Amino acid sequence: MSMAQRWDVLREYSRISGTAEIARRYLVMNAFDGVLTIIGVLMGNYMAGVRDVAIVINTGLTTSVAMGVSGLWGAYLTESAERERDLAELEKNTLSNLKNTKIGRASRWAVVIVALVDGLAPLAAALLVMIPLFLSRLIGSVEVSYLLSLVLSLITLFGLGVFLGRISKRNVVIYGLRTLIAGVVSIALGFLLGGHGG
Amino acid sequence: MSNLRRVVLDVLKPMEPDIVELSQMLADLEGVDGVNIAIYEIDRRVENAKVTIEGNNLPYEKVVTIIEENGGAVHSVDEVASGKVLIEDVVTPQD
Repeated sequence: MSMAQRWDVLREYSRISGTAEIARRYLVMNAFDGVLTIIGVLMGNYMAGVRDVAIVINTGLTTSVAMGVSGLWGAYLTESAERERDLAELEKNTLSNLKNTKIGRASRWAVVIVALVDGLAPLAAALLVMIPLFLSRLIGSVEVSYLLSLVLSLITLFGLGVFLGRISKRNVVIYGLRTLIAGVVSIALGFLLGGHGG
Repeated sequence: MSNLRRVVLDVLKPMEPDIVELSQMLADLEGVDGVNIAIYEIDRRVENAKVTIEGNNLPYEKVVTIIEENGGAVHSVDEVASGKVLIEDVVTPQD
Protein backbone atom coordinates (compact mmCIF):
# COMPACT_ATOMS: atom_id res chain seq x y z
CA MET A 1 0.00 0.00 0.00
CA SER A 2 1.45 3.39 -0.97
CA MET A 3 1.75 6.28 1.52
CA ALA A 4 -1.12 8.12 -0.15
CA GLN A 5 -3.34 5.04 0.10
CA ARG A 6 -2.34 4.50 3.73
CA TRP A 7 -3.17 8.13 4.47
CA ASP A 8 -6.58 7.72 2.80
CA VAL A 9 -7.31 4.66 4.90
CA LEU A 10 -6.40 6.50 8.11
CA ARG A 11 -8.58 9.44 7.14
CA GLU A 12 -11.45 7.05 6.54
CA TYR A 13 -10.91 5.50 9.99
CA SER A 14 -10.96 8.99 11.49
CA ARG A 15 -14.20 9.76 9.75
CA ILE A 16 -15.87 6.52 10.84
CA SER A 17 -14.82 6.91 14.48
CA GLY A 18 -15.26 10.69 14.76
CA THR A 19 -11.64 11.10 15.86
CA ALA A 20 -11.13 14.65 14.60
CA GLU A 21 -13.78 16.10 16.86
CA ILE A 22 -12.52 14.31 19.97
CA ALA A 23 -8.88 15.03 19.20
CA ARG A 24 -9.62 18.75 18.78
CA ARG A 25 -11.41 18.85 22.10
CA TYR A 26 -8.61 17.05 23.95
CA LEU A 27 -5.93 19.10 22.22
CA VAL A 28 -7.32 22.40 23.46
CA MET A 29 -8.31 21.13 26.91
CA ASN A 30 -4.95 19.55 27.59
CA ALA A 31 -2.82 22.30 26.11
CA PHE A 32 -4.80 24.68 28.33
CA ASP A 33 -4.02 22.44 31.34
CA GLY A 34 -0.39 22.28 30.36
CA VAL A 35 0.02 26.05 30.12
CA LEU A 36 -1.78 26.77 33.39
CA THR A 37 0.23 24.12 35.21
CA ILE A 38 3.46 25.69 34.04
CA ILE A 39 2.18 29.11 35.12
CA GLY A 40 1.74 27.50 38.54
CA VAL A 41 5.29 26.12 38.47
CA LEU A 42 6.70 29.50 37.39
CA MET A 43 4.78 31.50 39.97
CA GLY A 44 5.60 28.98 42.72
CA ASN A 45 9.30 29.08 41.97
CA TYR A 46 9.38 32.86 41.54
CA MET A 47 7.52 33.66 44.74
CA ALA A 48 9.69 31.14 46.65
CA GLY A 49 12.69 33.16 45.56
CA VAL A 50 14.15 30.59 43.16
CA ARG A 51 16.54 32.42 40.85
CA ASP A 52 18.52 29.37 39.72
CA VAL A 53 17.12 28.65 36.27
CA ALA A 54 18.18 25.00 36.44
CA ILE A 55 15.78 24.39 39.34
CA VAL A 56 12.87 25.98 37.49
CA ILE A 57 13.66 24.05 34.33
CA ASN A 58 13.89 20.78 36.25
CA THR A 59 10.59 21.36 38.01
CA GLY A 60 8.98 22.45 34.79
CA LEU A 61 10.28 19.50 32.78
CA THR A 62 9.36 16.85 35.31
CA THR A 63 5.90 18.39 35.68
CA SER A 64 5.45 18.50 31.89
CA VAL A 65 6.50 14.88 31.49
CA ALA A 66 4.18 13.82 34.31
CA MET A 67 1.33 15.62 32.56
CA GLY A 68 2.21 13.88 29.32
CA VAL A 69 2.25 10.45 30.92
CA SER A 70 -0.96 11.16 32.79
CA GLY A 71 -2.65 12.34 29.61
CA LEU A 72 -1.47 9.43 27.51
CA TRP A 73 -2.25 6.73 30.06
CA GLY A 74 -5.54 8.18 31.22
CA ALA A 75 -6.84 8.78 27.72
CA TYR A 76 -5.73 5.34 26.54
CA LEU A 77 -7.59 3.59 29.37
CA THR A 78 -10.76 5.66 29.24
CA GLU A 79 -11.05 5.87 25.46
CA SER A 80 -10.34 2.13 25.17
CA ALA A 81 -13.09 1.31 27.63
CA GLU A 82 -15.59 3.63 25.96
CA ARG A 83 -14.85 2.41 22.46
CA GLU A 84 -15.06 -1.22 23.49
CA ARG A 85 -18.42 -0.61 25.10
CA ASP A 86 -19.63 1.18 21.99
CA LEU A 87 -18.39 -1.58 19.68
CA ALA A 88 -20.00 -4.27 21.83
CA GLU A 89 -23.31 -2.43 21.62
CA LEU A 90 -23.01 -2.15 17.85
CA GLU A 91 -22.13 -5.83 17.62
CA LYS A 92 -25.29 -6.64 19.56
CA ASN A 93 -27.28 -4.63 17.04
CA THR A 94 -25.63 -6.03 13.91
CA LEU A 95 -25.38 -9.56 15.33
CA SER A 96 -21.84 -9.91 13.99
CA ASN A 97 -18.26 -9.71 15.23
CA LEU A 98 -16.89 -6.36 14.14
CA LYS A 99 -13.35 -6.85 15.44
CA ASN A 100 -11.78 -7.42 12.01
CA THR A 101 -13.91 -4.94 10.10
CA LYS A 102 -13.14 -1.37 9.15
CA ILE A 103 -15.26 -0.28 12.11
CA GLY A 104 -13.22 -2.31 14.61
CA ARG A 105 -9.95 -0.98 13.18
CA ALA A 106 -11.29 2.59 13.14
CA SER A 107 -12.19 2.21 16.80
CA ARG A 108 -8.69 1.04 17.76
CA TRP A 109 -7.13 3.80 15.67
CA ALA A 110 -9.23 6.39 17.50
CA VAL A 111 -7.89 5.16 20.84
CA VAL A 112 -4.29 5.58 19.67
CA ILE A 113 -4.84 9.08 18.28
CA VAL A 114 -6.76 10.33 21.29
CA ALA A 115 -4.13 8.96 23.69
CA LEU A 116 -1.31 10.60 21.71
CA VAL A 117 -3.08 13.95 21.56
CA ASP A 118 -3.95 13.79 25.25
CA GLY A 119 -0.35 13.03 26.14
CA LEU A 120 1.50 15.29 23.74
CA ALA A 121 -0.72 18.39 23.98
CA PRO A 122 0.08 19.36 27.59
CA LEU A 123 3.73 18.37 27.15
CA ALA A 124 4.18 20.43 24.00
CA ALA A 125 2.33 23.44 25.41
CA ALA A 126 4.41 23.34 28.59
CA LEU A 127 7.69 23.04 26.70
CA LEU A 128 6.71 25.91 24.42
CA VAL A 129 6.04 28.18 27.37
CA MET A 130 9.36 27.20 28.96
CA ILE A 131 11.46 28.23 25.96
CA PRO A 132 12.55 31.58 27.51
CA LEU A 133 13.86 29.60 30.50
CA PHE A 134 15.88 27.32 28.25
CA LEU A 135 17.28 30.44 26.59
CA SER A 136 17.88 32.34 29.87
CA ARG A 137 21.63 32.38 29.30
CA LEU A 138 21.08 34.16 25.99
CA ILE A 139 18.52 36.48 27.56
CA GLY A 140 20.93 37.26 30.40
CA SER A 141 18.47 37.69 33.26
CA VAL A 142 16.44 35.09 35.15
CA GLU A 143 13.79 37.64 36.02
CA VAL A 144 13.32 38.53 32.38
CA SER A 145 13.12 34.83 31.48
CA TYR A 146 10.37 34.35 34.05
CA LEU A 147 8.55 37.34 32.63
CA LEU A 148 8.91 36.21 29.04
CA SER A 149 7.65 32.73 29.95
CA LEU A 150 4.59 34.22 31.59
CA VAL A 151 3.97 36.46 28.59
CA LEU A 152 4.39 33.50 26.25
CA SER A 153 1.93 31.50 28.36
CA LEU A 154 -0.64 34.29 28.07
CA ILE A 155 -0.11 34.48 24.31
CA THR A 156 -0.53 30.70 24.05
CA LEU A 157 -3.73 30.85 26.07
CA PHE A 158 -5.04 33.60 23.81
CA GLY A 159 -4.09 31.50 20.80
CA LEU A 160 -5.99 28.51 22.15
CA GLY A 161 -9.03 30.74 22.63
CA VAL A 162 -8.76 31.98 19.07
CA PHE A 163 -8.61 28.38 17.88
CA LEU A 164 -11.78 27.61 19.86
CA GLY A 165 -13.43 30.69 18.42
CA ARG A 166 -12.64 29.53 14.90
CA ILE A 167 -14.01 26.05 15.57
CA SER A 168 -17.27 27.42 16.90
CA LYS A 169 -17.35 30.18 14.27
CA ARG A 170 -17.81 32.84 16.91
CA ASN A 171 -15.87 35.98 17.74
CA VAL A 172 -12.26 34.81 18.02
CA VAL A 173 -11.14 37.82 20.09
CA ILE A 174 -13.81 37.22 22.74
CA TYR A 175 -12.82 33.54 22.99
CA GLY A 176 -9.16 34.49 23.12
CA LEU A 177 -9.84 36.89 25.99
CA ARG A 178 -11.80 34.23 27.86
CA THR A 179 -8.87 31.84 27.89
CA LEU A 180 -6.42 34.65 28.54
CA ILE A 181 -8.29 35.65 31.70
CA ALA A 182 -7.66 32.17 33.16
CA GLY A 183 -3.95 32.79 32.85
CA VAL A 184 -4.18 36.27 34.33
CA VAL A 185 -6.16 34.94 37.29
CA SER A 186 -3.61 32.15 37.85
CA ILE A 187 -0.76 34.62 37.86
CA ALA A 188 -2.62 36.97 40.21
CA LEU A 189 -3.43 34.13 42.61
CA GLY A 190 0.19 33.05 42.43
CA PHE A 191 1.30 36.48 43.60
CA LEU A 192 -1.25 36.52 46.41
CA LEU A 193 -0.47 33.01 47.65
CA GLY A 194 3.27 33.48 47.29
CA GLY A 195 3.12 36.67 49.31
CA HIS A 196 1.38 34.83 52.20
CA GLY A 197 3.64 31.77 52.13
CA GLY A 198 6.93 33.68 52.15
CA MET B 1 -19.65 -21.63 -13.87
CA SER B 2 -22.27 -19.52 -15.54
CA ASN B 3 -22.29 -15.76 -15.70
CA LEU B 4 -23.75 -14.16 -12.51
CA ARG B 5 -25.54 -11.01 -13.71
CA ARG B 6 -27.69 -9.72 -10.88
CA VAL B 7 -27.95 -10.23 -7.14
CA VAL B 8 -30.38 -8.62 -4.73
CA LEU B 9 -29.24 -8.82 -1.11
CA ASP B 10 -30.91 -8.01 2.17
CA VAL B 11 -28.18 -6.40 4.27
CA LEU B 12 -28.09 -5.22 7.86
CA LYS B 13 -25.39 -2.60 8.30
CA PRO B 14 -24.26 0.00 10.84
CA MET B 15 -24.91 3.65 9.98
CA GLU B 16 -21.23 4.31 9.26
CA PRO B 17 -19.87 3.85 6.64
CA ASP B 18 -22.98 5.18 4.89
CA ILE B 19 -24.63 3.76 1.78
CA VAL B 20 -23.06 6.37 -0.48
CA GLU B 21 -19.61 5.04 0.34
CA LEU B 22 -20.70 1.41 0.33
CA SER B 23 -22.31 1.71 -3.12
CA GLN B 24 -19.14 3.29 -4.51
CA MET B 25 -16.95 0.58 -3.00
CA LEU B 26 -19.14 -2.11 -4.54
CA ALA B 27 -19.37 -0.32 -7.89
CA ASP B 28 -15.57 -0.17 -8.05
CA LEU B 29 -15.35 -3.96 -8.20
CA GLU B 30 -14.41 -5.52 -11.51
CA GLY B 31 -17.45 -7.02 -13.23
CA VAL B 32 -19.92 -4.69 -11.54
CA ASP B 33 -21.78 -2.39 -13.92
CA GLY B 34 -24.04 -0.75 -11.39
CA VAL B 35 -25.21 -0.75 -7.78
CA ASN B 36 -28.44 0.36 -6.19
CA ILE B 37 -28.88 0.54 -2.41
CA ALA B 38 -32.23 1.39 -0.88
CA ILE B 39 -32.87 1.71 2.84
CA TYR B 40 -36.15 0.26 3.96
CA GLU B 41 -35.73 0.37 7.71
CA ILE B 42 -33.69 2.48 10.11
CA ASP B 43 -32.88 1.72 13.69
CA ARG B 44 -30.92 3.61 16.32
CA ARG B 45 -27.56 2.18 15.31
CA VAL B 46 -28.22 0.09 12.18
CA GLU B 47 -30.13 0.22 8.92
CA ASN B 48 -31.63 -2.44 6.68
CA ALA B 49 -30.71 -2.09 3.03
CA LYS B 50 -31.75 -3.73 -0.22
CA VAL B 51 -28.59 -3.95 -2.30
CA THR B 52 -29.02 -4.59 -6.02
CA ILE B 53 -25.92 -5.24 -8.07
CA GLU B 54 -25.80 -5.84 -11.80
CA GLY B 55 -22.93 -6.62 -14.09
CA ASN B 56 -21.07 -9.38 -15.85
CA ASN B 57 -19.54 -12.26 -13.90
CA LEU B 58 -20.25 -10.60 -10.62
CA PRO B 59 -17.53 -11.31 -8.01
CA TYR B 60 -20.03 -12.48 -5.40
CA GLU B 61 -17.44 -13.42 -2.73
CA LYS B 62 -15.79 -10.01 -3.05
CA VAL B 63 -19.19 -8.32 -2.74
CA VAL B 64 -19.86 -10.18 0.51
CA THR B 65 -16.35 -9.44 1.75
CA ILE B 66 -16.78 -5.70 1.19
CA ILE B 67 -20.14 -5.68 2.93
CA GLU B 68 -18.72 -7.58 5.92
CA GLU B 69 -15.56 -5.46 6.01
CA ASN B 70 -17.79 -2.44 6.48
CA GLY B 71 -19.63 -3.99 9.37
CA GLY B 72 -22.61 -5.29 7.38
CA ALA B 73 -24.16 -8.73 7.31
CA VAL B 74 -25.92 -10.35 4.36
CA HIS B 75 -29.17 -11.60 5.84
CA SER B 76 -30.51 -13.15 2.67
CA VAL B 77 -30.10 -13.36 -1.09
CA ASP B 78 -33.52 -12.27 -2.33
CA GLU B 79 -33.04 -12.46 -6.07
CA VAL B 80 -30.46 -13.81 -8.46
CA ALA B 81 -30.11 -13.75 -12.24
CA SER B 82 -27.44 -15.66 -14.15
CA GLY B 83 -26.73 -16.65 -17.72
CA LYS B 84 -26.23 -15.07 -21.09
CA VAL B 85 -29.45 -13.06 -20.86
CA LEU B 86 -30.98 -11.18 -17.91
CA ILE B 87 -34.35 -12.77 -17.13
CA GLU B 88 -36.91 -10.80 -15.12
CA ASP B 89 -39.30 -12.41 -12.70
CA VAL B 90 -42.41 -13.47 -14.68
CA VAL B 91 -45.96 -12.91 -13.33
CA THR B 92 -47.94 -16.13 -13.28
CA PRO B 93 -51.67 -16.70 -12.55
CA GLN B 94 -50.61 -18.13 -9.17
CA ASP B 95 -49.19 -14.73 -8.17
